[in-house]
Amino acid sequence: MSKKLYSRFLKPLFIILIFFPLLTIFVWSFIERWEWPSLVPTVFSNRAMNVIFRNKQDFFKLIGSGILISGMVALLSVITSTMAARAFVFYEVKYKNLINFLSLLPFMVPATVFGMGIQSIFIKWGLNNSILGVVIAHLIYSQPYAFQLMLAGTESIGRTYEELARSLGANAWQAFYKISLPMLMPVILASASMAFVVSFGQYFLTLIVGGGQVKTFAIVMVPYIQSGERNIAAIYSLFFLIILFIINHLLNYVGKKVEEKIYKG
Amino acid sequence: MKKKILSLLLVGLLVFSFTACGQTETSNEITTDGKTETATNEGGEKNIDGMTFNEMLEAAKGTKVSFYGWGGNEKLNKWLDEVYAKSLKEKYDITLDRVPMDIDQILSQLSGEVQAGVDGPIDMIWINGENFKSCKENNMLYGPFTERLPNFEKYIDPESDDIKLDFGYPVEGYEAPYSKAQVVFVVDGAKVSERPKNAAEFLEFAKKYKGKVAYPALPDFTGSVFVRNIINETCDYSKLMNPDLTKEEVREIIKPAIDYLVELNPYLWGEGKTFPVSGPDKMNMFSDGELVFDFTYESYGPVQSIADGTYPETVETFIFDKGTIGNTNFIAIAKNSTNKAGAMVAINEMLTPKMQASKLQELKLLPVLDNDKLSDEEKKLFELDLGKAAIPQDELLSKRLPELPAGLVPIIEEIWAEDVVGK
Amino acid sequence: MKKKFTPYLLLLPQIGLTLLLITSLLTGIIQSFGVIPAFNLFKPSLKYYIEIFARPDIINSIFFSLKITLISSLLATFIGLVICGLLVSNKEKTPLVNIITHIPITVPHIVVALFTVIIFSQNGVFARLAYLLGFISEQQEFPRLIYDQNGIGVIISYLWKEIPFIIYFIHSLMSRVEGSLGEAARDLGANKFQSFIKVTLPLSSRVIISGFLIIFIFTLGAYELPLLLGATIPKALPVLAYQEYLHPDLRHRPYAMALNGIIILISLISSIIYYFLMKKRGGGYE
Repeated sequence: MSKKLYSRFLKPLFIILIFFPLLTIFVWSFIERWEWPSLVPTVFSNRAMNVIFRNKQDFFKLIGSGILISGMVALLSVITSTMAARAFVFYEVKYKNLINFLSLLPFMVPATVFGMGIQSIFIKWGLNNSILGVVIAHLIYSQPYAFQLMLAGTESIGRTYEELARSLGANAWQAFYKISLPMLMPVILASASMAFVVSFGQYFLTLIVGGGQVKTFAIVMVPYIQSGERNIAAIYSLFFLIILFIINHLLNYVGKKVEEKIYKG
Repeated sequence: MKKKILSLLLVGLLVFSFTACGQTETSNEITTDGKTETATNEGGEKNIDGMTFNEMLEAAKGTKVSFYGWGGNEKLNKWLDEVYAKSLKEKYDITLDRVPMDIDQILSQLSGEVQAGVDGPIDMIWINGENFKSCKENNMLYGPFTERLPNFEKYIDPESDDIKLDFGYPVEGYEAPYSKAQVVFVVDGAKVSERPKNAAEFLEFAKKYKGKVAYPALPDFTGSVFVRNIINETCDYSKLMNPDLTKEEVREIIKPAIDYLVELNPYLWGEGKTFPVSGPDKMNMFSDGELVFDFTYESYGPVQSIADGTYPETVETFIFDKGTIGNTNFIAIAKNSTNKAGAMVAINEMLTPKMQASKLQELKLLPVLDNDKLSDEEKKLFELDLGKAAIPQDELLSKRLPELPAGLVPIIEEIWAEDVVGK
Repeated sequence: MKKKFTPYLLLLPQIGLTLLLITSLLTGIIQSFGVIPAFNLFKPSLKYYIEIFARPDIINSIFFSLKITLISSLLATFIGLVICGLLVSNKEKTPLVNIITHIPITVPHIVVALFTVIIFSQNGVFARLAYLLGFISEQQEFPRLIYDQNGIGVIISYLWKEIPFIIYFIHSLMSRVEGSLGEAARDLGANKFQSFIKVTLPLSSRVIISGFLIIFIFTLGAYELPLLLGATIPKALPVLAYQEYLHPDLRHRPYAMALNGIIILISLISSIIYYFLMKKRGGGYE
């Protein structure tokens, strides 16, 4: 594959394939009617913009609640996965294959099956209609991504560096904190990001566990997409993607700061 | 050592939050902004059943009432948040919590809670038809309550079939009317000059505009009502008013309709092999010009669409000569609601001429009040010029067909899937 | 003592979550046998499974589901690893890789359905381009890519999501292998293509197959795209399950769970095959 073919043709092609569909969504946010066979929309409007900003306070509260929940899911996901990955790589664990296999279980269980089951369990524990319940439910579905990523990352870094540090006199915590953690930072960010994205987009699960009392952005967005009003669907989708984009960059920024701090201190 | 402590701490934290939350919520009372009302204990039930309306007004002050229903209608959401909720707050100091949730999920949640014997956050539910029947039969609703609402006495005609029956199923005071709906057909006058007035003319219309006519796949409720309208046109509708019919009996009665639909298939957009996925999809196809014919339960929805610019000004609505199916949608109260008093006050407010007129004005939704019971002043509130595309209310209501019994609707949908698709 | 228990403590949260999932799964399976106390259904029975298999369309649905799942997953994996190979051997830097992979993963399936209709429907962007260029004179002449019996639109939209996912999943391992051993192979005289086929690819195979399994199982059980972009018949299995779930008569719930049970069974069988494949390759944990 010649380098020229790749950089002049394929690279731009990939970028177009990703962005063109999103462009159509962006454009549709401002369209009221687009008759056949015109390539230019027939009627423009900013009705959808007005809709989404109808009540700015409520709108931002909604975003905030979604970010809070998904943020907690991301944090807990990372902690859980880092611990689990560490157990796999640094220790002798029986049934590693089984546990690894089971970590992929959320992919296999359709949301309706899980939703119905978890609802009755949570009612018994009093966790239904609560934020904690929603976080736990989201956590289960974010876990496969986070765990696989952390496992791959922890494996590739391996035990050698920490063992070296230990042999030079560092204690276990120092070895982890100063050596492994900075090296794991990229993978930790990737896991957090994935977990956040999966959680932020959860609709069915949030409804069934949250009982309508836990409101996230996805819960308000999905009915509009189903309603067929394409401009409103488009603008909510647009904001959804923008929020995730911002969060992703924020995570990267935070991660870099944390890395710096560890190296300095 | 530190690592071990850290991990123990984290695990402990997790377990602690598990159990701690379990403790605080086992009693499962949803505390509202001031008052709590456990509905499942004996004292609670007696309380709400014995209250006069004035006592309910007192009890509802400063509380939160939740209203669960489909959240995909942006204008309705806006009206509920800005007009209805505002009125509730100003007049009764009730805070409305509008929760967007599909009815199937509401049913799932409610049934799970009721079975577990716990209170829940659902107070008011936007509901009708088969879903209402399912809830009522499974004891998931509180009632009867409508006769205790002053505005129900004052403005509603309790003997009207639109109020007494919901898809042929007796309401018995378990839900209060909210809005009326009636199917209208929609075309763009600039593209199409015909207005088919019955099934035969419609078939000719489909032949002429081959590939540009469609109805969504059942069990979408718009597709479903189209089929039921055809049944009215081609079969003996009255025979179907019996809720105890078996599937085979229904199949026999609606055979002429099935034959008609199969005859219609080749002229449809998907040639009868595939159908638009949903009502909204089909509406978009009409708006884009892919289809020349549309229909909707929202009798004045097209009027609103013209105002928005989604439809061109030349769009018109019409109905069959024999009439089109209409229904009422309702508000019910959850059996395990913790604020039944608040719910009743709120529902009572929805039945005021002011709210119903505002709903007509802003959302073009048909009101449920009995015209005869309105004063002349109140009647004026409803005299609105809705524009050229609208069919006058009295004409609509004079050609209104009742819905079939709720239990038969899924049966008809099954028969359609078996005998019409791909045939 | 410390060493022995630490790993299990570390694994505790993960295992806890898995247990929660398994419990819910078992509840769902029990429900498929008709035991749902919440809806006054108490007697276990096979009747729901039997009735479902008696339905005339069920075999078509199973085949349709398997077809679109296999085609989209195989295509996505193949195209994904080819593209990933290109990215890796051209030492493509992180920003572009991030763009190609992160963005599609972020976009929810219903939004993908939304733009697929905007672009591919007989009324969509491509159809209008075709009309303008004179290829068609009527909307209906544009090939039916969505709502069609073959599920083409469904497959296309899955590809948009899953190719980036595969790339995302295998990229870091593949670039490491390419960087170290691939480099070594080229030092020994192999050209780029040879080193990719003989060194990088085989060494990445474990993660590639894992990626395939993940998207296969996910696609099998997901209802949104086949619901929004599929034909009226045949319906994919998860769509059938979802429609039964929506049925207002709550006593229909076991039908939904039985259909889900079939999906879970197929997923389980696939996973067991995967498990043995992994063991044979010696890539698992001994």
